[in-house]
Amino acid sequence: MRSFRRLVYPYIVWGSIFILIPMFMIVFYAFISEGNGVMTVSFTFDNFLRFFEDSIFIEVLLRSLKIAIVTTIICIIVGYPVAYIIARAKPNSQSIAVLLITLPMWINMLVRTYAWRGILLESGLSPEVKVYIGMVYNFLPFMILQIYTSLSKMNKDYLIAATDLGCNARQAFLKVTLPLSVPGIISGITLVFLPAVSSFFIPKLLGGGSFVLIGNLIENYFLTAGDWNFGAAISLIMTIVILISMFITKKFDHEKEAENA
Amino acid sequence: MKKLIEFKNIVKKFDDQLVLKGIDLDIYENEFVTLLGPSGCGKTTLLRMLGGFLKPDEGEIIFDGEMINDMPAYKRPINTIFQKYALFPHLNVYDNIAFGLKLKKMPKDIIETKVTRMIQLVDLVGREKEDISVLSGGQQQRVAIARALVNEPDVLLLDEPLAALDLKLRKEMQHELKRIQQEVGITFIFVTHDQEEALTMSDKIVVIKDGTIQQIGTPTEIYNEPVNEYVANFIGESNIIDGIMKKDYLVSFDDKDYECVDRDFKDNEVVDVVIRPEDIDIVPYGKGKLNGEIKSVLFKGVHYEVIVETRRGTSKTVTMHVMKERDIVNAEANEMMHASDFSMDIEDVKTMTDQEIIARANAQAWDATSEEDISITEVITDLKDEAGKYECTFKTHEGTSIGIVITVVEPKYVEDNKDNTGITAFDFYKTVDEIKESMAISVDLKTWADAYAWYIDNDEEAPITEVRFDFDPNTIEEGDYKITFSTEGREYKVHTTKCFEEGQRIAIDFEGSDIHVMHKMGA
Repeated sequence: MRSFRRLVYPYIVWGSIFILIPMFMIVFYAFISEGNGVMTVSFTFDNFLRFFEDSIFIEVLLRSLKIAIVTTIICIIVGYPVAYIIARAKPNSQSIAVLLITLPMWINMLVRTYAWRGILLESGLSPEVKVYIGMVYNFLPFMILQIYTSLSKMNKDYLIAATDLGCNARQAFLKVTLPLSVPGIISGITLVFLPAVSSFFIPKLLGGGSFVLIGNLIENYFLTAGDWNFGAAISLIMTIVILISMFITKKFDHEKEAENA
Repeated sequence: MKKLIEFKNIVKKFDDQLVLKGIDLDIYENEFVTLLGPSGCGKTTLLRMLGGFLKPDEGEIIFDGEMINDMPAYKRPINTIFQKYALFPHLNVYDNIAFGLKLKKMPKDIIETKVTRMIQLVDLVGREKEDISVLSGGQQQRVAIARALVNEPDVLLLDEPLAALDLKLRKEMQHELKRIQQEVGITFIFVTHDQEEALTMSDKIVVIKDGTIQQIGTPTEIYNEPVNEYVANFIGESNIIDGIMKKDYLVSFDDKDYECVDRDFKDNEVVDVVIRPEDIDIVPYGKGKLNGEIKSVLFKGVHYEVIVETRRGTSKTVTMHVMKERDIVNAEANEMMHASDFSMDIEDVKTMTDQEIIARANAQAWDATSEEDISITEVITDLKDEAGKYECTFKTHEGTSIGIVITVVEPKYVEDNKDNTGITAFDFYKTVDEIKESMAISVDLKTWADAYAWYIDNDEEAPITEVRFDFDPNTIEEGDYKITFSTEGREYKVHTTKCFEEGQRIAIDFEGSDIHVMHKMGA
């Protein structure tokens, strides 16, 4: 085993160069003022103050959170029944259904979103609705697959036992199937909420320039405005928001477990 | 007692396979009924029908005077304990037990009283808040019992609930289940393939085989008066002997008449006779009903299991000729060769090929230095299908050759009509080394002598259970040795607390009331 440990070295190098150093750079940039030379560095909180002083930035942050939360909820509402139906189908139909759901993922997400832009161009829908359509379309498969996995792993004996103890079909679902699939829903939420809150090309392509989310903001400050320091600060703020939301989700999951313990 | 459940002519098919072939069964209130049978006999299917998870193809299930074929499972006043318990992993011990009551929307305080009482009944006090996954198999079992009983069902179904537990825990739970059943006073229907479990716990045992009921009765009835060979074999150990019922109270087996307590058979009906091993006594030679010899003694803890042979099987003795190695050396071609004489049946001569002769003679040729095998290219023989001795020569390409003698003999076999078996075996030649190298001498001797036994009535192969010889394979020298092969004779299994020596000559004794006569199966 010991000798196999060496196989991890390339990853450590890779991770340091492409993950740790950029992260450090982001933190570094967020806390320094613009126009520093190589030799002189002055630390400052201005970048963060600027974000919280201007209501427009807060508005964008809240809008991003709202879009992500609503997208996640829609994905659960649409995805759960689909996953449930697939999990109860015959094994052959199950693999075909899973294939059909993953099939669109073979095409690049950007390409698919461009296609949606074409479809929705003349639809007259508001930019917000278009963004929802694009988000749900792109992230729904992750939710379906997570819930499907937890449902299909579930032992059918539990349902028989529930019926035996007096549950009709509806009660058996509410009291047994649903609680047992919560872990699947939680991981589905993680897989949908995180990319949704930070997505920038879906609002960019479908929302038309007018619909700005936090991802677009970061992109703009880095690429268009060239203000890396402020861009880095917004990135850091978003990272913290994501960490908090993950913490809440985890806590919810743990509470569930604690309840059982 | 009141009749609670009636199965009327229940038939069930799975993919054209008949699993239940017309089951008629009545179950009364407060009974502990066991459905006993091997896996695949249909006992679980019957249980699942009562639980409401399967529907019969034909027949009626009547519960408390009402036909319930189409009543869904959740409406039946019946609860089940599943083989793998199926406890809900997202609920703790308390919530698992309270599951059924909460569904009925009972007031919280009543639920609590009932669940607490159940937790006491199954001895799980203090573990209410524990997670299911931290419980041991036995504790999970108890939760499953409590979860089912708390609903106060009229009937509790148990689908092999003890199968997953180890032996000690299983014994404990057997008593526990019996105690709980007596305490709550409801009908338990228990499915198992374990006869001991069935005998220990049941008021009534239903023995099922291939979708039909073989016998229904109390444990004592089933054990002492099995209706046929199948039940006798399945429940406990037994000696089952072919016999003839001459008239009421008189049965004949092994050429002797015995008084018995059975009647109502046809005169001279062919029957199966059962004598339980613990009902047979071993007494001094000549003082019992049958004389015999002790063949084996096995210590079983409480008793010894002794096999007594009262009649030898059919046997055949052959001669083994043991010779020195006869390696031929051809120095010119640097080759060595080897082969042995052998005997064969006259009937086999016509179908004998050169390859078979090489194999029977164990003829081999090899390079003297490298020891690599060399093919035998020629087999020269004047073998004819007449009794006699024939020369045979094997040659290699280089001209090395060795000669042997093949002895062709008339088929010689021994048939014993009384025993219904025949046996045959042939003299053979072996070298000292071949015998010393043998890993399992009895098996090899059977192969070398081509020993074979059969039942005269149906020509099927009969087992050769004994190979007797008086040499030690490790120290054997040249010479002739006698080997006797025999089939199984009449053996009696006896359970006794006294210890006996193998080979001891004794007699066995039993009372007329120990003999139980049964109809032949299918008769």
